[in-house]
Amino acid sequence: VQPQPDAKMCDQTFLAITFGPCDNCSQNKPLMNIYLKNEPINYCSLCVEMMACQGLAKGETIHTLKAESESLKSKLEEERAKLHDVELHQVAEKMEALGQFVMKTRRTLKGHGNKVLCMDWCRDKRRIVSSSQDGKVIVWDAYTTNKEHAVTMPCTWVMACAYAPSGCAVACGSDEEKSIQYVVLLYVFVILTSSGDGTCALWDVESGQLLQSFHGHSADVLSLDLAPSETGNTFVSGGCDKKANVWDMRSGQNVQSFETHESDINSVKYYPSGDAFASGSDDATCRLYDLRADREVAIYSKESIIFGASSVDFSLSGRLLFAGHNDYTINVWDVLKGTRVAILFGHENRVSTVRVSPDGTAFCSGSWDNTLRMKVKGLAVVIGVLHHPVVSAPRAAGELRNIGHSFPVIYS
Amino acid sequence: MAKIADARKTVEQLKLEVNIDRMMVSKAAAELMAYCESHAKEDPLLTPVPSSENPFREKKIFCAIL
Repeated sequence: VQPQPDAKMCDQTFLAITFGPCDNCSQNKPLMNIYLKNEPINYCSLCVEMMACQGLAKGETIHTLKAESESLKSKLEEERAKLHDVELHQVAEKMEALGQFVMKTRRTLKGHGNKVLCMDWCRDKRRIVSSSQDGKVIVWDAYTTNKEHAVTMPCTWVMACAYAPSGCAVACGSDEEKSIQYVVLLYVFVILTSSGDGTCALWDVESGQLLQSFHGHSADVLSLDLAPSETGNTFVSGGCDKKANVWDMRSGQNVQSFETHESDINSVKYYPSGDAFASGSDDATCRLYDLRADREVAIYSKESIIFGASSVDFSLSGRLLFAGHNDYTINVWDVLKGTRVAILFGHENRVSTVRVSPDGTAFCSGSWDNTLRMKVKGLAVVIGVLHHPVVSAPRAAGELRNIGHSFPVIYS
Repeated sequence: MAKIADARKTVEQLKLEVNIDRMMVSKAAAELMAYCESHAKEDPLLTPVPSSENPFREKKIFCAIL
Protein backbone atom coordinates (compact mmCIF):
# COMPACT_ATOMS: atom_id res chain seq x y z
CA VAL A 1 0.00 0.00 0.00
CA GLN A 2 1.53 3.28 -1.05
CA PRO A 3 1.08 5.84 1.73
CA GLN A 4 -0.72 8.99 0.58
CA PRO A 5 1.65 11.95 0.88
CA ASP A 6 -0.59 14.08 3.07
CA ALA A 7 -2.10 11.40 5.30
CA LYS A 8 -0.85 11.82 8.88
CA MET A 9 -0.91 8.07 9.41
CA CYS A 10 2.22 7.70 7.24
CA ASP A 11 4.31 10.11 9.31
CA GLN A 12 3.68 8.02 12.38
CA THR A 13 4.43 4.67 10.77
CA PHE A 14 8.15 5.43 10.70
CA LEU A 15 8.71 6.47 14.31
CA ALA A 16 11.61 4.42 15.69
CA ILE A 17 10.00 3.30 18.90
CA THR A 18 7.38 0.88 17.63
CA PHE A 19 8.61 0.39 14.08
CA GLY A 20 12.01 -1.06 13.46
CA PRO A 21 14.08 -4.21 13.21
CA CYS A 22 12.57 -7.22 14.94
CA ASP A 23 14.89 -8.70 17.62
CA ASN A 24 14.28 -12.12 16.15
CA CYS A 25 14.00 -11.88 12.37
CA SER A 26 15.63 -8.43 11.89
CA GLN A 27 12.97 -7.29 9.42
CA ASN A 28 11.62 -3.74 9.71
CA LYS A 29 8.09 -4.09 10.99
CA PRO A 30 5.73 -2.64 13.61
CA LEU A 31 6.99 -4.08 16.89
CA MET A 32 5.35 -5.51 19.96
CA ASN A 33 6.97 -5.31 23.39
CA ILE A 34 7.19 -8.68 25.10
CA TYR A 35 9.18 -10.19 27.95
CA LEU A 36 11.28 -13.30 27.39
CA LYS A 37 12.80 -14.64 30.62
CA ASN A 38 11.89 -11.26 32.17
CA GLU A 39 13.95 -9.30 29.67
CA PRO A 40 12.04 -6.75 27.55
CA ILE A 41 12.47 -7.32 23.83
CA ASN A 42 10.79 -6.20 20.60
CA TYR A 43 9.33 -8.80 18.29
CA CYS A 44 7.24 -8.32 15.16
CA SER A 45 3.79 -9.85 15.37
CA LEU A 46 4.78 -12.83 13.18
CA CYS A 47 7.66 -13.79 15.47
CA VAL A 48 5.39 -13.41 18.49
CA GLU A 49 2.98 -15.90 16.93
CA MET A 50 5.77 -18.33 16.11
CA MET A 51 7.21 -18.11 19.60
CA ALA A 52 3.79 -18.78 21.07
CA CYS A 53 3.41 -21.91 18.92
CA GLN A 54 6.73 -23.57 19.73
CA GLY A 55 6.75 -26.89 21.54
CA LEU A 56 6.67 -26.94 25.30
CA ALA A 57 9.92 -26.02 27.03
CA LYS A 58 11.35 -28.22 29.80
CA GLY A 59 9.05 -28.29 32.81
CA GLU A 60 6.39 -26.20 31.08
CA THR A 61 2.83 -27.52 30.96
CA ILE A 62 -0.53 -25.97 30.30
CA HIS A 63 -0.97 -26.00 34.07
CA THR A 64 2.25 -24.13 34.83
CA LEU A 65 1.25 -21.53 32.24
CA LYS A 66 -2.21 -21.14 33.80
CA ALA A 67 -0.69 -20.88 37.29
CA GLU A 68 1.68 -18.22 35.98
CA SER A 69 -1.32 -16.33 34.53
CA GLU A 70 -3.13 -16.38 37.85
CA SER A 71 -0.13 -15.18 39.78
CA LEU A 72 0.44 -12.39 37.25
CA LYS A 73 -3.19 -11.29 37.59
CA SER A 74 -2.75 -11.01 41.37
CA LYS A 75 0.48 -9.11 40.89
CA LEU A 76 -1.31 -6.71 38.52
CA GLU A 77 -4.00 -5.99 41.14
CA GLU A 78 -1.32 -5.47 43.82
CA GLU A 79 0.63 -3.03 41.67
CA ARG A 80 -2.51 -1.08 40.84
CA ALA A 81 -3.61 -0.99 44.50
CA LYS A 82 -0.27 0.53 45.57
CA LEU A 83 -1.13 3.76 43.78
CA HIS A 84 -4.65 4.08 45.12
CA ASP A 85 -3.84 6.75 47.71
CA VAL A 86 -6.95 8.87 47.31
CA GLU A 87 -10.29 9.06 45.45
CA LEU A 88 -10.82 11.51 42.59
CA HIS A 89 -13.88 13.07 44.25
CA GLN A 90 -11.86 13.75 47.40
CA VAL A 91 -9.24 15.63 45.41
CA ALA A 92 -12.10 17.49 43.68
CA GLU A 93 -13.73 18.63 46.92
CA LYS A 94 -11.92 21.95 46.80
CA MET A 95 -13.28 22.74 43.34
CA GLU A 96 -16.22 25.07 42.97
CA ALA A 97 -19.52 23.31 42.50
CA LEU A 98 -21.19 23.75 39.14
CA GLY A 99 -24.10 26.17 38.94
CA GLN A 100 -27.61 25.06 38.12
CA PHE A 101 -27.61 23.21 34.87
CA VAL A 102 -30.35 24.07 32.42
CA MET A 103 -30.51 22.70 28.91
CA LYS A 104 -33.31 22.93 26.43
CA THR A 105 -34.01 21.04 23.28
CA ARG A 106 -33.28 23.46 20.44
CA ARG A 107 -33.81 21.31 17.38
CA THR A 108 -35.48 18.04 16.72
CA LEU A 109 -34.42 16.32 13.56
CA LYS A 110 -37.23 14.18 12.25
CA GLY A 111 -37.06 12.10 9.14
CA HIS A 112 -35.81 8.67 10.00
CA GLY A 113 -38.44 6.00 9.64
CA ASN A 114 -37.09 3.88 12.45
CA LYS A 115 -34.71 3.83 15.43
CA VAL A 116 -31.71 6.15 15.24
CA LEU A 117 -28.69 4.01 16.08
CA CYS A 118 -25.72 6.31 15.62
CA MET A 119 -24.72 9.83 14.78
CA ASP A 120 -21.59 11.90 14.31
CA TRP A 121 -20.79 15.59 13.95
CA CYS A 122 -18.85 17.03 11.05
CA ARG A 123 -15.84 19.18 11.96
CA ASP A 124 -17.65 22.19 10.51
CA LYS A 125 -19.76 22.02 13.74
CA ARG A 126 -22.88 22.26 11.65
CA ARG A 127 -23.47 19.03 9.80
CA ILE A 128 -24.53 15.80 11.37
CA VAL A 129 -24.67 12.33 9.90
CA SER A 130 -27.10 9.83 11.40
CA SER A 131 -27.93 6.22 10.65
CA SER A 132 -31.00 4.20 11.40
CA GLN A 133 -32.61 0.80 11.52
CA ASP A 134 -34.57 1.87 8.45
CA GLY A 135 -31.40 1.45 6.39
CA LYS A 136 -30.94 5.15 5.74
CA VAL A 137 -27.98 7.39 6.38
CA ILE A 138 -28.94 11.06 6.47
CA VAL A 139 -26.73 14.14 6.50
CA TRP A 140 -28.41 17.12 8.21
CA ASP A 141 -27.64 20.80 8.54
CA ALA A 142 -28.08 21.20 12.29
CA TYR A 143 -28.58 24.97 12.13
CA THR A 144 -31.51 24.86 9.71
CA THR A 145 -32.54 21.22 10.31
CA ASN A 146 -32.60 20.63 6.55
CA LYS A 147 -31.59 17.26 5.25
CA GLU A 148 -28.72 17.60 2.83
CA HIS A 149 -28.33 14.02 1.71
CA ALA A 150 -30.08 10.76 2.27
CA VAL A 151 -28.55 7.48 1.23
CA THR A 152 -30.27 4.15 1.36
CA MET A 153 -27.99 1.31 2.39
CA PRO A 154 -28.64 -2.15 0.94
CA CYS A 155 -29.45 -3.41 4.45
CA THR A 156 -31.21 -2.43 7.67
CA TRP A 157 -29.74 -1.78 11.14
CA VAL A 158 -27.04 0.66 10.12
CA MET A 159 -25.34 0.40 13.48
CA ALA A 160 -22.59 2.90 12.94
CA CYS A 161 -21.77 6.01 11.00
CA ALA A 162 -18.94 8.51 11.12
CA TYR A 163 -17.86 11.69 9.40
CA ALA A 164 -14.39 11.90 7.86
CA PRO A 165 -12.26 14.63 9.41
CA SER A 166 -12.14 16.30 5.99
CA GLY A 167 -15.94 16.50 5.98
CA CYS A 168 -15.98 15.11 2.48
CA ALA A 169 -16.98 11.58 3.24
CA VAL A 170 -18.97 9.49 5.66
CA ALA A 171 -18.57 5.85 6.54
CA CYS A 172 -21.21 3.53 7.83
CA GLY A 173 -21.39 -0.04 8.94
CA SER A 174 -24.25 -2.44 9.17
CA ASP A 175 -25.30 -5.40 11.17
CA GLU A 176 -24.86 -7.89 8.37
CA GLU A 177 -22.51 -10.84 8.10
CA LYS A 178 -19.84 -10.33 10.70
CA SER A 179 -21.60 -7.14 11.82
CA ILE A 180 -19.69 -3.91 12.24
CA GLN A 181 -20.67 -2.43 15.53
CA TYR A 182 -18.73 0.79 15.51
CA VAL A 183 -16.85 2.86 13.03
CA VAL A 184 -14.34 5.64 13.43
CA LEU A 185 -13.14 7.31 10.28
CA LEU A 186 -9.57 8.45 10.80
CA TYR A 187 -8.74 10.01 7.54
CA VAL A 188 -10.34 9.30 4.23
CA PHE A 189 -7.51 6.86 3.60
CA VAL A 190 -7.81 4.71 6.70
CA ILE A 191 -10.73 3.38 8.67
CA LEU A 192 -10.95 1.67 12.04
CA THR A 193 -13.79 -0.71 12.77
CA SER A 194 -14.98 -2.99 15.51
CA SER A 195 -16.97 -6.11 15.03
CA GLY A 196 -19.36 -8.63 16.51
CA ASP A 197 -16.62 -11.23 16.09
CA GLY A 198 -14.62 -9.68 18.93
CA THR A 199 -11.93 -8.02 16.84
CA CYS A 200 -11.11 -4.51 15.73
CA ALA A 201 -9.52 -3.85 12.37
CA LEU A 202 -7.66 -1.07 10.61
CA TRP A 203 -8.22 -0.87 6.84
CA ASP A 204 -6.75 1.02 3.94
CA VAL A 205 -9.73 2.48 2.12
CA GLU A 206 -8.12 2.75 -1.30
CA SER A 207 -7.15 -0.89 -1.60
CA GLY A 208 -9.55 -2.46 0.87
CA GLN A 209 -6.55 -4.08 2.52
CA LEU A 210 -6.48 -5.05 6.18
CA LEU A 211 -3.56 -3.16 7.74
CA GLN A 212 -3.78 -4.37 11.32
CA SER A 213 -6.11 -6.47 13.43
CA PHE A 214 -6.64 -6.26 17.17
CA HIS A 215 -7.39 -9.42 19.13
CA GLY A 216 -8.10 -9.47 22.85
CA HIS A 217 -11.83 -9.16 23.39
CA SER A 218 -13.71 -12.40 23.92
CA ALA A 219 -17.08 -11.07 22.72
CA ASP A 220 -18.63 -8.38 20.48
CA VAL A 221 -16.78 -5.07 20.52
CA LEU A 222 -19.50 -2.43 20.76
CA SER A 223 -17.58 0.82 20.81
CA LEU A 224 -14.31 2.50 19.85
CA ASP A 225 -12.75 5.86 20.43
CA LEU A 226 -9.51 7.32 19.12
CA ALA A 227 -7.08 9.13 21.41
CA PRO A 228 -7.54 12.88 20.83
CA SER A 229 -3.94 13.97 20.47
CA GLU A 230 -2.69 14.94 17.02
CA THR A 231 0.22 12.53 17.37
CA GLY A 232 -1.84 9.91 19.20
CA ASN A 233 -1.71 6.40 17.94
CA THR A 234 -3.86 4.59 20.46
CA PHE A 235 -7.54 3.83 20.71
CA VAL A 236 -9.83 2.37 23.35
CA SER A 237 -12.48 -0.31 22.75
CA GLY A 238 -15.30 -1.63 24.93
CA GLY A 239 -17.27 -4.83 24.55
CA CYS A 240 -19.69 -7.45 25.70
CA ASP A 241 -16.90 -9.18 27.65
CA LYS A 242 -17.16 -6.22 30.15
CA LYS A 243 -13.61 -5.20 29.26
CA ALA A 244 -12.24 -1.92 28.03
CA ASN A 245 -8.92 -2.31 26.17
CA VAL A 246 -6.41 0.29 25.06
CA TRP A 247 -4.51 -0.54 21.86
CA ASP A 248 -1.43 0.62 19.97
CA MET A 249 -2.71 1.12 16.40
CA ARG A 250 0.58 0.39 14.68
CA SER A 251 1.66 -2.81 16.41
CA GLY A 252 -1.79 -4.19 17.21
CA GLN A 253 -0.76 -4.60 20.82
CA ASN A 254 -3.20 -4.40 23.71
CA VAL A 255 -1.36 -2.04 26.08
CA GLN A 256 -3.82 -1.78 28.97
CA SER A 257 -6.99 -3.61 29.98
CA PHE A 258 -9.73 -2.75 32.49
CA GLU A 259 -12.39 -5.11 33.75
CA THR A 260 -14.52 -3.51 36.47
CA HIS A 261 -17.93 -3.19 34.81
CA GLU A 262 -20.51 -5.83 35.67
CA SER A 263 -22.08 -6.03 32.23
CA ASP A 264 -21.61 -5.13 28.54
CA ILE A 265 -19.76 -1.89 27.84
CA ASN A 266 -21.83 -0.04 25.23
CA SER A 267 -19.77 3.09 24.82
CA VAL A 268 -16.24 4.37 25.45
CA LYS A 269 -14.98 7.93 25.04
CA TYR A 270 -11.65 9.61 25.74
CA TYR A 271 -11.38 12.50 28.18
CA PRO A 272 -10.37 15.55 26.09
CA SER A 273 -6.76 15.53 27.39
CA GLY A 274 -6.35 11.90 26.33
CA ASP A 275 -5.21 10.85 29.83
CA ALA A 276 -8.43 9.07 30.75
CA PHE A 277 -11.57 7.61 29.24
CA ALA A 278 -15.19 7.08 30.28
CA SER A 279 -17.37 4.06 29.68
CA GLY A 280 -21.12 3.46 29.75
CA SER A 281 -22.51 0.01 30.48
CA ASP A 282 -25.59 -2.16 30.74
CA ASP A 283 -24.82 -2.34 34.47
CA ALA A 284 -26.38 1.18 34.64
CA THR A 285 -23.10 2.84 35.61
CA CYS A 286 -20.57 5.00 33.84
CA ARG A 287 -16.95 4.84 34.95
CA LEU A 288 -13.80 6.88 34.50
CA TYR A 289 -10.46 5.12 34.00
CA ASP A 290 -7.20 7.06 34.27
CA LEU A 291 -4.56 5.70 31.88
CA ARG A 292 -1.52 6.82 33.85
CA ALA A 293 -2.80 5.58 37.21
CA ASP A 294 -3.89 2.45 35.31
CA ARG A 295 -7.17 2.08 37.22
CA GLU A 296 -10.78 3.04 37.56
CA VAL A 297 -10.92 6.41 39.37
CA ALA A 298 -14.64 7.18 39.44
CA ILE A 299 -18.05 5.50 39.21
CA TYR A 300 -21.10 7.52 38.17
CA SER A 301 -24.11 5.72 39.53
CA LYS A 302 -27.20 6.11 41.64
CA GLU A 303 -29.59 3.57 43.10
CA SER A 304 -32.36 5.21 41.11
CA ILE A 305 -30.57 4.65 37.82
CA ILE A 306 -31.30 1.07 36.82
CA PHE A 307 -31.29 1.19 33.03
CA GLY A 308 -28.14 0.67 30.99
CA ALA A 309 -26.13 3.57 29.59
CA SER A 310 -25.90 3.27 25.82
CA SER A 311 -23.66 6.20 24.96
CA VAL A 312 -21.36 8.69 26.71
CA ASP A 313 -19.57 11.90 25.73
CA PHE A 314 -17.61 14.68 27.47
CA SER A 315 -18.11 18.41 27.23
CA LEU A 316 -15.17 20.36 25.79
CA SER A 317 -13.35 20.90 29.10
CA GLY A 318 -14.04 17.39 30.34
CA ARG A 319 -15.95 18.65 33.37
CA LEU A 320 -19.31 17.27 32.23
CA LEU A 321 -20.17 13.73 31.15
CA PHE A 322 -23.38 13.14 29.20
CA ALA A 323 -24.80 9.64 29.34
CA GLY A 324 -27.79 8.43 27.30
CA HIS A 325 -29.80 5.65 28.91
CA ASN A 326 -32.32 3.01 27.95
CA ASP A 327 -34.95 4.67 30.17
CA TYR A 328 -35.16 7.49 27.58
CA THR A 329 -33.20 9.97 29.73
CA ILE A 330 -29.79 11.59 29.59
CA ASN A 331 -27.86 11.98 32.82
CA VAL A 332 -25.32 14.77 33.15
CA TRP A 333 -22.47 14.21 35.64
CA ASP A 334 -19.83 16.40 37.24
CA VAL A 335 -16.88 14.25 36.16
CA LEU A 336 -14.58 15.33 39.02
CA LYS A 337 -16.97 15.44 41.96
CA GLY A 338 -18.90 12.38 40.84
CA THR A 339 -22.30 13.99 41.37
CA ARG A 340 -25.19 14.19 38.93
CA VAL A 341 -25.93 17.77 37.88
CA ALA A 342 -29.00 17.21 35.69
CA ILE A 343 -31.35 14.71 34.08
CA LEU A 344 -32.59 15.59 30.61
CA PHE A 345 -35.89 14.38 29.28
CA GLY A 346 -37.47 14.64 25.87
CA HIS A 347 -36.97 11.40 24.04
CA GLU A 348 -39.83 8.95 23.78
CA ASN A 349 -37.71 5.84 23.57
CA ARG A 350 -34.26 4.69 24.57
CA VAL A 351 -31.37 7.03 23.83
CA SER A 352 -28.91 5.24 21.55
CA THR A 353 -26.25 7.89 20.96
CA VAL A 354 -25.04 11.21 22.43
CA ARG A 355 -22.38 13.41 20.86
CA VAL A 356 -21.11 16.85 21.82
CA SER A 357 -20.50 19.15 18.84
CA PRO A 358 -16.86 19.82 17.85
CA ASP A 359 -16.91 23.37 19.29
CA GLY A 360 -18.80 22.25 22.39
CA THR A 361 -21.79 24.56 21.94
CA ALA A 362 -24.38 21.83 21.77
CA PHE A 363 -24.89 18.16 22.01
CA CYS A 364 -27.07 15.91 19.95
CA SER A 365 -28.83 12.75 21.06
CA GLY A 366 -30.34 10.08 18.86
CA SER A 367 -33.03 7.73 19.94
CA TRP A 368 -35.17 4.73 19.17
CA ASP A 369 -38.02 7.26 18.95
CA ASN A 370 -36.64 7.97 15.43
CA THR A 371 -35.50 11.51 16.24
CA LEU A 372 -32.33 13.41 17.01
CA ARG A 373 -32.53 16.23 19.51
CA MET A 374 -30.09 19.01 20.10
CA LYS A 375 -29.58 20.71 23.39
CA VAL A 376 -27.83 23.93 24.25
CA LYS A 377 -27.18 25.28 27.70
CA GLY A 378 -28.82 28.34 29.12
CA LEU A 379 -32.09 30.12 29.57
CA ALA A 380 -34.69 29.42 26.97
CA VAL A 381 -38.17 30.44 26.12
CA VAL A 382 -38.99 28.40 23.07
CA ILE A 383 -38.37 24.74 22.54
CA GLY A 384 -38.09 24.16 18.82
CA VAL A 385 -39.60 21.08 17.27
CA LEU A 386 -39.36 21.40 13.54
CA HIS A 387 -40.65 19.32 10.71
CA HIS A 388 -38.60 18.81 7.65
CA PRO A 389 -38.81 19.38 3.96
CA VAL A 390 -38.54 16.66 1.33
CA VAL A 391 -35.44 14.54 1.44
CA SER A 392 -32.91 15.72 -1.11
CA ALA A 393 -31.38 13.33 -3.61
CA PRO A 394 -27.94 11.96 -2.79
CA ARG A 395 -25.09 13.51 -4.71
CA ALA A 396 -23.33 11.31 -7.22
CA ALA A 397 -21.27 8.86 -5.25
CA GLY A 398 -17.65 8.17 -5.95
CA GLU A 399 -16.79 4.52 -6.02
CA LEU A 400 -18.56 2.31 -3.58
CA ARG A 401 -16.35 -0.32 -1.99
CA ASN A 402 -17.23 -3.31 0.10
CA ILE A 403 -14.24 -3.88 2.31
CA GLY A 404 -13.51 -7.35 3.60
CA HIS A 405 -15.70 -8.95 6.21
CA SER A 406 -16.90 -5.91 7.93
CA PHE A 407 -18.87 -4.17 5.22
CA PRO A 408 -18.18 -0.50 5.76
CA VAL A 409 -19.24 1.58 2.78
CA ILE A 410 -17.63 4.88 1.95
CA TYR A 411 -19.50 7.61 0.14
CA SER A 412 -17.78 10.72 -1.06
CA MET B 1 -1.24 -26.81 20.59
CA ALA B 2 -3.60 -23.87 20.21
CA LYS B 3 -4.23 -23.95 23.96
CA ILE B 4 -0.51 -23.67 24.70
CA ALA B 5 -0.16 -20.79 22.26
CA ASP B 6 -3.13 -19.01 23.87
CA ALA B 7 -1.84 -19.63 27.39
CA ARG B 8 1.61 -18.32 26.43
CA LYS B 9 0.09 -15.22 24.84
CA THR B 10 -2.00 -14.58 27.96
CA VAL B 11 1.13 -14.81 30.12
CA GLU B 12 3.02 -12.42 27.80
CA GLN B 13 0.09 -9.99 27.80
CA LEU B 14 -0.13 -10.01 31.59
CA LYS B 15 3.63 -9.51 31.99
CA LEU B 16 3.36 -6.49 29.77
CA GLU B 17 0.46 -5.04 31.75
CA VAL B 18 2.17 -5.64 35.10
CA ASN B 19 5.35 -3.88 33.96
CA ILE B 20 3.95 -0.55 32.75
CA ASP B 21 4.83 2.69 34.55
CA ARG B 22 2.06 4.00 36.78
CA MET B 23 1.25 7.27 38.49
CA MET B 24 -0.31 7.81 41.93
CA VAL B 25 -4.05 8.54 41.77
CA SER B 26 -3.52 11.82 43.67
CA LYS B 27 -1.20 13.09 40.93
CA ALA B 28 -3.36 11.79 38.07
CA ALA B 29 -6.48 13.33 39.66
CA ALA B 30 -4.72 16.67 40.11
CA GLU B 31 -3.87 16.70 36.41
CA LEU B 32 -7.46 15.89 35.37
CA MET B 33 -8.66 18.77 37.56
CA ALA B 34 -6.04 21.14 36.17
CA TYR B 35 -7.18 20.34 32.62
CA CYS B 36 -10.83 21.04 33.50
CA GLU B 37 -9.99 24.31 35.18
CA SER B 38 -7.79 25.60 32.39
CA HIS B 39 -10.44 24.82 29.75
CA ALA B 40 -13.57 25.76 31.70
CA LYS B 41 -13.93 29.20 30.13
CA GLU B 42 -13.80 27.74 26.61
CA ASP B 43 -16.51 25.18 27.35
CA PRO B 44 -19.82 26.65 26.13
CA LEU B 45 -21.83 24.06 28.03
CA LEU B 46 -20.18 25.20 31.28
CA THR B 47 -19.82 28.91 30.66
CA PRO B 48 -22.68 29.91 28.41
CA VAL B 49 -21.82 32.10 25.44
CA PRO B 50 -24.03 35.08 24.66
CA SER B 51 -27.10 34.25 22.55
CA SER B 52 -25.78 36.30 19.66
CA GLU B 53 -22.82 33.94 19.32
CA ASN B 54 -24.78 30.76 19.66
CA PRO B 55 -25.92 29.48 16.28
CA PHE B 56 -28.63 27.36 17.81
CA ARG B 57 -30.38 30.06 19.76
CA GLU B 58 -33.36 31.88 18.33
CA LYS B 59 -32.28 35.34 17.21
CA LYS B 60 -34.46 38.32 18.00
CA ILE B 61 -36.11 39.64 14.88
CA PHE B 62 -36.53 43.36 14.77
CA CYS B 63 -38.47 43.87 11.60
CA ALA B 64 -42.08 42.93 11.04
CA ILE B 65 -43.96 42.53 7.81
CA LEU B 66 -46.58 45.20 7.59
